[in-house]
Amino acid sequence: MTGFPILSLVLWLPALGGVLLLLLPRDNVGLHRTVALAFALLAFGLSLVLPLQFDPNATGAQFFEQAPWIPAWGISYSIGLDGISLWLVVLTTFLTPIALLSTWGSITSQVRYFQVLMLLLETAMMGVFVALDTFLFYLFWEFTLIPMAFMIGIWGSGNRLYAARKFFLYTFAGSVLMLLGIIGLSFLHRDAVGAEIPTFNLLTIVDDIRNGAFVLDTAMERILFGLFFAAFAIKVPLWPFHTWLPDAHVQAPTAGSVILAGVLLKLGTYGLIRFNLTLFPDASAWAAPAIGILAVIGIIYGAWIAFAQTDMKKLVAYSSVSHMGFVVLGIFALNEVGISGAVLQMINHGLSTGALFLAVGYLYERRHTREMAQFGGLWKNMPVYGSLTLVMVLSSVGLPGLNGFIGEYAIMQGAFTSPVLGWGFVAWAVIGVILAATYLLRMFRETFMGELDRPENEQLSDLTPTEVGMMVALLIPIVAIGIVPSVFFAPMQSSVAEVVQTLSAIVAGSQ
Amino acid sequence: MLELIWLIPLLPFVGFLLNALLVGRIGDAHTQERSAGYVAVAAVAAAFVLALVAFVQLGNLPEEERLVNVNLWTWINAGDLVVPFGLMFDPLTGVMTLLVTGVGTLIHIYSIGYMHGDSRVVRYFAYLNLFITMMLFLVMANNMLLLFLGWEGVGLCSFLLIGYWFERKSASSAAVKAFVVNRIGDAAILLAMMTIFLQFGTLNFFDMILDGAEVIGFVENAGAVAQQIVSVPGQDFRIGTIISFLLLIGVTGKSAQIPLFVWLPDAMAGPTPVSALIHAATMVTAGVYLIARTHPIFTDTTLGLVTWIGALTALVAATAAVAQWDIKRVLAYSTVSQLGYMVAAAGMGIYVAAIFHLLTHGIFKALLFLGSGSVIHGTHDTQDMRKMGGLRTAMPYTFVTYLIGAAALAGVFPLAGFWSKDEIVGHALTHTIPIFIILFLSSLLTAFYMGRQLALVFWGEQRDHSYHAHESGAVMWVPLVILAALTVVAGGLNLPGSHWLTDWLFPVMEEEAAEFKIVLGVVATLAAIGAGFGGWYLYAVRWAKRIKVDAKDPLYRGMGDIWDTMAEAWFFDTVYNKTIVPGYRSVAGFFAQVFDPEGIDGLVNGVGRAFGWASNGVRFFQNGYVRSYALAFFLGVVVIVGYLIVAL
Repeated sequence: MTGFPILSLVLWLPALGGVLLLLLPRDNVGLHRTVALAFALLAFGLSLVLPLQFDPNATGAQFFEQAPWIPAWGISYSIGLDGISLWLVVLTTFLTPIALLSTWGSITSQVRYFQVLMLLLETAMMGVFVALDTFLFYLFWEFTLIPMAFMIGIWGSGNRLYAARKFFLYTFAGSVLMLLGIIGLSFLHRDAVGAEIPTFNLLTIVDDIRNGAFVLDTAMERILFGLFFAAFAIKVPLWPFHTWLPDAHVQAPTAGSVILAGVLLKLGTYGLIRFNLTLFPDASAWAAPAIGILAVIGIIYGAWIAFAQTDMKKLVAYSSVSHMGFVVLGIFALNEVGISGAVLQMINHGLSTGALFLAVGYLYERRHTREMAQFGGLWKNMPVYGSLTLVMVLSSVGLPGLNGFIGEYAIMQGAFTSPVLGWGFVAWAVIGVILAATYLLRMFRETFMGELDRPENEQLSDLTPTEVGMMVALLIPIVAIGIVPSVFFAPMQSSVAEVVQTLSAIVAGSQ
Repeated sequence: MLELIWLIPLLPFVGFLLNALLVGRIGDAHTQERSAGYVAVAAVAAAFVLALVAFVQLGNLPEEERLVNVNLWTWINAGDLVVPFGLMFDPLTGVMTLLVTGVGTLIHIYSIGYMHGDSRVVRYFAYLNLFITMMLFLVMANNMLLLFLGWEGVGLCSFLLIGYWFERKSASSAAVKAFVVNRIGDAAILLAMMTIFLQFGTLNFFDMILDGAEVIGFVENAGAVAQQIVSVPGQDFRIGTIISFLLLIGVTGKSAQIPLFVWLPDAMAGPTPVSALIHAATMVTAGVYLIARTHPIFTDTTLGLVTWIGALTALVAATAAVAQWDIKRVLAYSTVSQLGYMVAAAGMGIYVAAIFHLLTHGIFKALLFLGSGSVIHGTHDTQDMRKMGGLRTAMPYTFVTYLIGAAALAGVFPLAGFWSKDEIVGHALTHTIPIFIILFLSSLLTAFYMGRQLALVFWGEQRDHSYHAHESGAVMWVPLVILAALTVVAGGLNLPGSHWLTDWLFPVMEEEAAEFKIVLGVVATLAAIGAGFGGWYLYAVRWAKRIKVDAKDPLYRGMGDIWDTMAEAWFFDTVYNKTIVPGYRSVAGFFAQVFDPEGIDGLVNGVGRAFGWASNGVRFFQNGYVRSYALAFFLGVVVIVGYLIVAL
C-alpha cells in the first residue's frame, strides 16, 4: 500500500501524545489522564484499519514505508506489517488504553510521567513489531526497557528497585548480545554480496538468504543464532532465564504487569520467528530439539511452581513462564500449524494474562494484599468480579470455546506432527494442560469459593462500571478467538507459510 | 428441517444467555426465580421438540442416508489443520439428543420445585442450560475437536454445579477435584486427537465436503489405518491401539471408571437434580458415547482392556455402594457401577447393548436421584439414611416411584433395567466367563444395596425426629411419575424379537440383534429379587432395631476391615491422597522455595556478583544508578562493536 502512511501514524501517535502531555499544565491530573487515554484510544481506533485493509493472500510486508535515515551506514526507516506482526500491533494498541485506564484509581503520584512513559512504551513496542530494519528494531527494542524499568522502579511496591534493576540488567545483557548479532549479520552480508556499505535492511538480507546470495557457514550461522536467541530467550522468558519475571511482576504496578505480560514478553517470541527462524533456518532446525526441551521444562516447571505460590500475582507470573513455554514449543515445531498456533497464543496470552493481572489488581486496590489466604468466599459479595475472573481463569486454563484452547491445541498439534519435535515433546507438554487446571482453579477456589469469613472482606464492593468495562473489553476477543479463530488465523497464513517454506525444505532434507 | 439442527443446541444457549445476563436484573427475587425457571425449562423443552422432529425426519430417510452433516463455519484453519464448526445428526446422535433434552426437560421442571427459595437460583438455571448446550455439542459434533469442546464444556458445568453452594468447603473442593481429575483424562484425549490427525489428516468422523474438496472421516477410514503398525521406542503398536488406549483414559475420567472414578462420589456435593442430570443420566455416559462413536478405531487389544476396566469398576463400585450411609453416595457408586456395565459392554463389542443400557439407566437413575432429592427435600436436607426410616407413608409418590426405579436398577422383569442389563450379562456368558461372573456378582450386589436402601429409607420407624417429613409438591413428583412410567416401558426400545434399537442403530453400529437367553433371564430376575429381598429383609426386619443414628452397620461386625475397604471404594482415593497429592505439593514447594530462588536465581545473581567483583577497581560505576550500568554496558558494546568493524 502506498500513499497515506497509516502505519507510521499508528506507530508515532502515542509518542506524540506523550510529548504533548509534557506541554500540558503541570497539576491538572485529570487532564493528563484523559489526554493520554484519548491518544491511546485514537491509536487503537486507527490500528483497526490495519486488519481491515490487510490483504491475507499477499506475501511480504504490507503498509510498507521506507525512508533513508543514515545512508552512510545502510540504515533506513523501514516499517511494514505482515501476518505475524499484524495482530501483535493490534494487541498493543488494544491493551495500552486498558492499562492506562487501570491506573486511574491506582497511580496517584507523578501521574503525568506515568502516562508519558506508558505512551512512549506503546510506540516502542509497536516499533519492535513493525521495524524492518535491524538497527531500527534494535533501537525500539532497547527503548522498551527504559519506560518499563522506570515504571517498576518508581511506581512499584516493596522491593521495587531491586526488581527494576534486575529487569533492566538481565534483559539488557541479552540485548547487547543481539546487537553484536545484528552488526555481525550486516557486515557478513556486506562481504557476501560484495557491497560497499553494509545494509541493515531486514528484507534485503532475508531475500539474499532465500535466494542463496548470502550463505553463512554453519558455525557462524549457529553463533549468530545464539546471539539473537540469548536476547529473545531472556525476554520470553524461556526456562531457565525466567527468574527476573516473578520479581518484576510482583513489584510492578498493575498497568505495568498488564503490559509486561501482555506485550513485552511477546517481543521475545516475535523475535524468534522474525529473526531466528527467518534468518537462520539451518541453525533453527539444528537447535529445535534442544529448545523444545527447554520449552517443555518451562511448561511443566512454571506450572508446578505456580501451584506453590501464595501471592496471586506471583502465581500468574509463573503461569506466564508455563504459557510462554507453549509459544516457544509451537515456534520450534517449524511448521505452519505450530507457528500459527504460537502467533495466536501470543495474542491469547496477552489477553488472558493481562486480564488476570487486572483482576488481581482490582483486589489489591481494595485490600492491599495479594495473599490468597487473606481471601475466600468473595464470589458471594462480588458476584460480577468472581464470574468475570472465572472466565479469564478458564481462558488461561485452555477451556475449549475460549481463546487459549485454540492456540494451545494448534501448538501441540504442530509439535506433534513436526519431524524435529514429535510426540515425545507433546506427551510432556500436555502435562502442563493438567497442571494449569490445578494452580488456576486453586487460586479461584481459595479466593472466591469457601466461606466469606473475614470481616474486612465482607466490606469489599463489587466492580465499578469502569472495571467491568475493562474486563468485558478483554472478554470480547477472548470469546471471539475461541469461537471463530479462523478470522484470526486467516491473515497470518501466507506469512507463516513463507517462513516455513525454507524451513520445511531443510527439515525434509535432513531427515 | 435437518439443516436446522444447529437450533437444538442454540436454544438452551439462548436460555443460558438470558438467565446469565438479563433475568437477574429484572424485578424482585420472586419474579427472578420464576422467570429463570420458565426461561430455562422453555429453552430445553423447545430443544426437545426440535430434536424429536429431527429424529422423526431422520427416520423418514432411507437407511443409508441417515447421516446429516451441517457445517456452520470454518472453526480452525491453521496450515493443514482444518476443523469445521460442524454438527451432525445420525441414529446414535438422535437417541442421545432425545435422552439429553428429554430427561433434561424433566429435571429442569423438577428443579423449579427443588431449588425454590435458593438465593442464587437464576445462576443455577443458567448453568443448567449451559450444561445442556455443551452436552448437545458433545453428542452432535461432527468432529473430535468440537466433541472435545462439549466434553470439556460439560466438565466446566459440572464444576460450576458441584461447586454451586461454593460456601461449603466440601462443595468447592469436590468441584475442583472433579475438574482436575477429568483434566487428566482430557489430556489423554488431546493426545488421541493429535495422533488421529497425524495418522488420518482429519479430525472429522465422517465423509464431508470441505471447501469443495471431499474429506474422508477417520471413523470411516479406521479399518484401513488402525491395523497399521507404528514403532514406539521399545515396542510396536497398532495405530488403532494407541489411539483407542488414549481415548480409553479419557473415558475413565469422564465416565468415572477405574482408576479415575474418585471424583464422582464427591460430586454429590452439588444440588441433587444436578446429580441426576449430570452425574447419572447424561454427562458421565459421554465416555460410552465416545467409544460407540469411534468404535471402528478400537482394536482387540484395547477392547480387552476396556472390558476388564468396565467389569472391575462395576464390581468395586457395587461393593462400595453396599457400605454407604449417605442416600446419594449409594446412588453415586451405583452409577459408577452401572457405567462399568456399559463400558464392559462396549469392550465386548456389543455397542447397541451399551447404548441401550445407557438410555434405560439414564431414565431410571435420573428417577432414583430425583427421588432421593425428594426425600432430602422432604426431610429438610437429611442425607444420612440412618436418620430416615418409615418414609413410605409420609411420601407415597416418592416411595412408589422410587420402588420402581430400584427394581429397574436391580434388573427385575419386566422393567427397563432388566432388558438392558440382561443383554450385557448374557453376552458376557458367551464372551468371557470371568467377566460374566464379575458382572453377575455385581448385579446381585446391586439388588442387595437397593433392597438395603429401600429398607433404610422407607421402612421401619423414623429414627430421627428433628424434622417433619412431608411429600414434595407436584412440580417435583410429576416428573417422578413420568420417569417411573418411562422406566416401565423403556425396555420396549430393544425387546427381544422386535429389537428396534438394534435396527435403528444398524447404520452406525452394524450389529446383529443378540439372541435372548430365556434361562439366564429367569435366573437373573430370581436372583435379583432374592438379593433385593435379602437386603430388604436384613435391614427392614432382622436388624431393624440395630440401625441407629451414628451406629455402625450390622454387617460391620462380621466384616470389619473388609467393610471399611468397601466403604472407601477399595481406598483408591486414599492412596491418591497419600501419594500423588502430597508428592505434587512438596515438589512444588521445593521448586518455589529452594530450587528457583536459590538454584536458578542464585546462579543468575552469582553471575551478576562476579561482574561486581571484577569491577571492584572501577567502584565508581557501582553506584546503584541504572543509568550508570547502562552506560557501562553501552561503552562495552561500543568497544566490541568497534573491534568487530575493524576486524571484519
